[in-house]
Amino acid sequence: MKKLTYLLVISATLLAFTAFRPVAGKLVSKAGHISFFSHTAVEDITANNYKVVSTLETETGNVAFSVPMQSFEFEKSLMQEHFNGKDFLNTKDFPKAKFEGKIANISAVDFTRDGSYEVSVSGNLTIKDVTKPITEKGTITVKSGVVNAKTKFNLVLGDYGVTFKKGKPSTNIAKEIEVTLNADYQGE
Amino acid sequence: MTKRKVIKVVLTIVVVGIAAAASVALYLFNKPHRDIQSASVDFALTGHALVQEYLTSAHEANQKYLDDSGDSKIMAVTGNVRSISRDMNSQVVVLLQDEGDKAGVSCTFSAATNASAEKLSVGQTVTIKGVIRSGAGYDADLDLYEDVIIEKSDVFNQ
Repeated sequence: MKKLTYLLVISATLLAFTAFRPVAGKLVSKAGHISFFSHTAVEDITANNYKVVSTLETETGNVAFSVPMQSFEFEKSLMQEHFNGKDFLNTKDFPKAKFEGKIANISAVDFTRDGSYEVSVSGNLTIKDVTKPITEKGTITVKSGVVNAKTKFNLVLGDYGVTFKKGKPSTNIAKEIEVTLNADYQGE
Repeated sequence: MTKRKVIKVVLTIVVVGIAAAASVALYLFNKPHRDIQSASVDFALTGHALVQEYLTSAHEANQKYLDDSGDSKIMAVTGNVRSISRDMNSQVVVLLQDEGDKAGVSCTFSAATNASAEKLSVGQTVTIKGVIRSGAGYDADLDLYEDVIIEKSDVFNQ
């Protein structure tokens, strides 16, 4: 009888742990959304991409993003062609942009409890073949087991060798663009 | 020909030329996006073969399938449905991946084709047509294998 009670207690505990397992360890997002916005007096340009892959480690705070550049979609096909072309992002030779970094204040995020947490992320951003260190702010939201990360920051295109010296692009594309990122994570 | 006539002819040519150039520019500026589903298939192969090609040499595969302008090759990929999900734009995403393969082929449908993706079920073998955006490969920072990305997809019936 005693044995049976033990068994019951152990299985109940195990069940409780599996049923209410808090999100922890390595989280993966396979369909994040990234967009950018460029504003000039001449025109506003927006592009959207829904194929961002990202990982977030809840213990270490390590984060990584991989952005397939050809998945950016523009309203006008000519803009999309320019964006991908050899003179600008050269996406045939550099199909992905990458970010790898760390959330400085990861201990402030309680992944077991619903809430919204402001975080600071530092790391290296690689676009084309240029890598630069960046530090940006973001928000991590935990809601009933789903972890979401959002960030919005400005990017100077010239820092990554994306420059427009002449013609329409030099007047129609802002030197500094606004990047918005939104990703839902799940356990691996 | 009188001087007046010459001026008239020259002026006409200039005006017609400007109008033609302007309409070409306007056409290019507003050129519609390529219609993937009505274009012909460039490559038909299995998801397994495509993933293997990328894992063997991503550079060679990129040179073969990706295009400078972003108008990359149109693929018809056959494989087993591993999962069906939705992205943040409400588009259905069908992952084709064979048992034992390290990466698969992630096919994003569109508002126009979502309905045909919803008829699919996990485990089914299917051929999906779409444009390739990027390849498969191991990423050390993510510490995982990324899938081949196909977009503007629809179920392909030969």
